[in-house]
Amino acid sequence: MLKKTLVALSVLSLSTGMVQAQGTWTGGDDLPTTPLACDGTAATPAAKEYDGGVPTNPPDRAGQEITVVDVPKLIGIGYFDATSKGIAEAAAEMGNMNATTDGPTEANIDDQITLIDNYITSGVDGILFAANDPVAIAPVLKKALEAGINVVGYDANSEPDARQWFVNQAEFNGIAKAMIDSLAAEVGEDASFAIVTSTFTTPNQARWIAEMEAYATECYPNLQWLETVEAQEDNILSFNQANTLINKYGDDLKGILGMTSVATPAAADAVTQAGQCGNIAVIGLATPNAMKPYVDADCVKSVVLWNPVDLGYAAAYVMRATADGELQPGDTEVEAGKLGTLSVINGSEILLGAPFIFTKENINDFDF
Amino acid sequence: MSVEAAPAFRPRRSGLTRFVSAYGQEIVIACAILILFAVVSLINPRFLGANNLNTIISGNAYIAVAAIGMSMIIITGNIDVSVGALIGVLATISGTLAVAGYPVWVAWGAPILAGAAINAVVGALVAYGKIPSIVVTLGMLSILRGGLVSITGGAWISNLPPDFLLAQQRLLGVPAPVWFMVICTVIAFLWMRYSAFGRSLYAIGGNSEAARAAGIPIERRIVEVFAIHGAIAGVATILFATQLQIIQSTVPPNLELTIITASVIGGVSILGGTGTVIGSTLAAILFSAIGAGLIFVNVSAYWLRAVIGLLILITVLIDMLRRNRETRQASR
Repeated sequence: MLKKTLVALSVLSLSTGMVQAQGTWTGGDDLPTTPLACDGTAATPAAKEYDGGVPTNPPDRAGQEITVVDVPKLIGIGYFDATSKGIAEAAAEMGNMNATTDGPTEANIDDQITLIDNYITSGVDGILFAANDPVAIAPVLKKALEAGINVVGYDANSEPDARQWFVNQAEFNGIAKAMIDSLAAEVGEDASFAIVTSTFTTPNQARWIAEMEAYATECYPNLQWLETVEAQEDNILSFNQANTLINKYGDDLKGILGMTSVATPAAADAVTQAGQCGNIAVIGLATPNAMKPYVDADCVKSVVLWNPVDLGYAAAYVMRATADGELQPGDTEVEAGKLGTLSVINGSEILLGAPFIFTKENINDFDF
Repeated sequence: MSVEAAPAFRPRRSGLTRFVSAYGQEIVIACAILILFAVVSLINPRFLGANNLNTIISGNAYIAVAAIGMSMIIITGNIDVSVGALIGVLATISGTLAVAGYPVWVAWGAPILAGAAINAVVGALVAYGKIPSIVVTLGMLSILRGGLVSITGGAWISNLPPDFLLAQQRLLGVPAPVWFMVICTVIAFLWMRYSAFGRSLYAIGGNSEAARAAGIPIERRIVEVFAIHGAIAGVATILFATQLQIIQSTVPPNLELTIITASVIGGVSILGGTGTVIGSTLAAILFSAIGAGLIFVNVSAYWLRAVIGLLILITVLIDMLRRNRETRQASR
């Protein structure tokens, strides 16, 4: 009897293991997901109390000239050049903000912390940041708040109480919907696809992938996810990984989703060089300039992103409103110059808007 | 004492034993590659498809080429941690020239010359300034990386002319990077094994005082070997910059470490004096074979880093044990 029970138990654990192996998406995180409606009906934001931090005894900065430093994940890539451009644009428009961008040359959290620490010491009025690590960056941001500095994040969040506001470029479920919708439209609702991401633990990528799984399960149950491969932020490795996927799956592979601005053009190049344009669709997050060769050659049809210039622009306006005391905990919207009124979500985040899809028709209107 | 005496640190034995003892690490890596191919292709026969073999062997070719120069540097008892940033700078120079309409041979030649020039300066600081190479190249790393970002402003280079894209060419069905890797490796191996210059590198790394006594101009050699390493990094750059239709203004993270790792796992002693470039090239191929193999057998890529880390530890440990044994034998 005992023997039989043991056998049954081991069979059960084996089979659940296999079910899990089939049902699990490597590369997604385990946080709860909130997929959007398949037909795109806007979700009503759940009311949530302000959960951001508060600076300690900040001086009255209303209408004053303020000095703001922007510390992105890294400098030297097209994406953060564009956010930096947006910040500069907004600062020039407002006329009472001195904004400079200074970041690490590699997406390294230790370098980023050191840099922010130096700016706290040298004395600034505001810090804009895009975190390399949401947890590790929190202590230095809290230190800034304690020094009375206004702290606003954009692109990549920290723990909420380590900053005042976070400008969210697009909700994860919004991006996930745009990616999966584009994929299904290009390759059909029952095709097989694979993902090239940076690393399984990169917060943004892991969240998008988890939301993509949830949305696809709901809206396109017959889409077949093959696997997710890691490629760091390495263009040649991304190219090699995409090639390996093509070699491994042959004709079964109908689409590749690129989760980073490095992986997507490299995957497109792999498909191009393998002579598979038209057979394998590449859809992904990338900057328009990097994708123009592939979009112009009709190898890539949809590039999903938001407008990073607008993101930096909005972050600068949120910083100004925060410093002026116009944006207070509990508010539901904020004015952001040419972008109009942006709404507050998730307690202390400001949503930039729906994602933007670059296609052959519009991609040449952008330059970043 | 002659220059030839330096590599012959190992006791003289005959035939096969001597071959195995001299090329132990290379043999181990070649076997590891064969075993890996056998195991993975049993699980998934598609692993041996021609396209996949091309992907694996050409995938890390630029790393293998860069590791040739790195091996020379490490064999002389030095190190270069700036080579990743150097490749990034040289790629931008090459791509900028190509887009500006210069003939492709100028765009290909410039990184080789610029690499040699930049690293000759590094070599001079090491040799004549008597600054440890790790310090000079750490400084160089910051200069090159910072300079790259401020000069390019982060812009990527696109619109590369099609005939510039050398790494996408094939000869007899074999991708150009593979040809470059094999030819560079064979030439460098023979040159380091048989030329007086090549052998002097081992002498300098093995025992620099003895090398000086033997009449080797150590300072000049160091400058020359750094310049050669820079030129080879230029060749690696051509493969790196012409693989895709765009050139990023950033280089793969930790590229220099990957290149150093290929040299060390390939059997180049981190303490200088021993090793061959055959080993480093095989190690670069092993890395990409492990990476592709893990995908083919559905194992998480996390293991890639763990496996390579383990290989480093084992290799260095074996190197240390061998050196201890040799020291004991020598003192007997």
